[in-house]
Amino acid sequence: MPGPSMSSCATIDPLVTAYVDDQLSDAERALVERHVQACPPCHARVSAERAVHDLIRTRRGALTTPCAPRALHARCAQLQPRGVEAGDHAGRPAVIAFPDVASRAVQAPPKAPATPWRSRLVPLAFAASLVLFVASAFLYQLTISSTHVMAAELAADHVKCSVLNGILHTHDEASAVESSMLNGFGWKMRLPEGAPKAGLELVGSRPCMYGEGKIAHIMYRRSGEPVSLFMLPETGRAQEVVQVLGHRAAIWCDGKRTFVLVARRPQEEVEQIASLLQASLK
Amino acid sequence: MARSQGLRQGSPAFEAEALASLDSLYRTALRLTRVPADAEDLVQETYLKAFRAADSFRPGTNLRAWLFTILHNTARNRIRDRARDAVSVDSEVVDRLSELPPPGGPIETPESLLLRQTMAPELQAAIDALPEAFRQAVWLRDVEEFSYAEIADMLSIPAGTVMSRISRGRRLLFEQLNHARSVHV
Repeated sequence: MPGPSMSSCATIDPLVTAYVDDQLSDAERALVERHVQACPPCHARVSAERAVHDLIRTRRGALTTPCAPRALHARCAQLQPRGVEAGDHAGRPAVIAFPDVASRAVQAPPKAPATPWRSRLVPLAFAASLVLFVASAFLYQLTISSTHVMAAELAADHVKCSVLNGILHTHDEASAVESSMLNGFGWKMRLPEGAPKAGLELVGSRPCMYGEGKIAHIMYRRSGEPVSLFMLPETGRAQEVVQVLGHRAAIWCDGKRTFVLVARRPQEEVEQIASLLQASLK
Repeated sequence: MARSQGLRQGSPAFEAEALASLDSLYRTALRLTRVPADAEDLVQETYLKAFRAADSFRPGTNLRAWLFTILHNTARNRIRDRARDAVSVDSEVVDRLSELPPPGGPIETPESLLLRQTMAPELQAAIDALPEAFRQAVWLRDVEEFSYAEIADMLSIPAGTVMSRISRGRRLLFEQLNHARSVHV
């Protein structure tokens, strides 16, 4: 068989990666295949690229295992514009207020048009950022214990677990949930009997990591949407409802436990569900 | 690649979907900075910019790719601000390695051997050891599964350069892993 000419190797060269990635048209793919069958160097090159491509895809699960620290999740959730209620999207422009910890000088994001007045503020912003950079370390320590940060972390868990439930088709009986609360948290409890009447369908429970320990996560569904109740073995939180990550979190304490109800529902509905659970769970 | 259709900028759904990419942004930031604290800082600044510039996100385009573009722009600006020569040094490495001839000798170890014998930690170490330009291209394509065009946007380089960097990066990885295996054997 005659060997391929150098020019044909040069023609094939820019197609190899797309060939390995299966991004070529049928005609281009046939061209590459014909060539590599007759050209050992190009065949070796394709084999090498494909081997690594396949290897990374095979090991992708392990490569993507390391997750961002929970504190970073909470800090980034805090960066969302505050005061943007659902009603604000209807018409009036949202007022955006960022937390101080994030108020450092930033450069324009891609595709954002630069404006002259902004450039004049750069030196001032830079000076401010130096101050805030030092202050942010202290501010972080203050905010880490704040209710808003806690609610953001739990809202993130609420979203993650609801996705997981969809995949795993989680469905636990009430007795199984009560048993796992007793065994896992020493919490002798009874799930509220009035929950089904209130439209709360029990999904299950799961221990979640929070801070340096585990917390209880009891999951319901109401009108097809997930509703989460978290129980934290701590106290000292004020009773309130906060909005974070597009969800509302109702917080209350009872004895040595803090309860947080998380749902993407109107405030009145969240308060109503919270009242029902608060009356039953101790 | 999923399109973020119907996502309204600044809406809770927009913010929730943006935050859902945090883990993969952090992993990529780790590949860029190699220092966890710097990676956290980079991701935080990325989200700060993203939420502030939510209006510039075009609904119907890929929100995840948009966030990765901000991440890479921010990383580049930081390097520039610190007046480090990392980019130019790396560019020299890229140029030098790009001039290397493709592996011409017969491949003695089959693909199946590489697949079976290379474990994730060894592969991760080999990826981390790649020059930055190749590491970014291979990581964004093979791990984060972005298209050539999306990577070109993120790295501000032509799509053809993206493909050649992916190609060279994969071949360097192949040689490195094979070499490591032959040493161990």
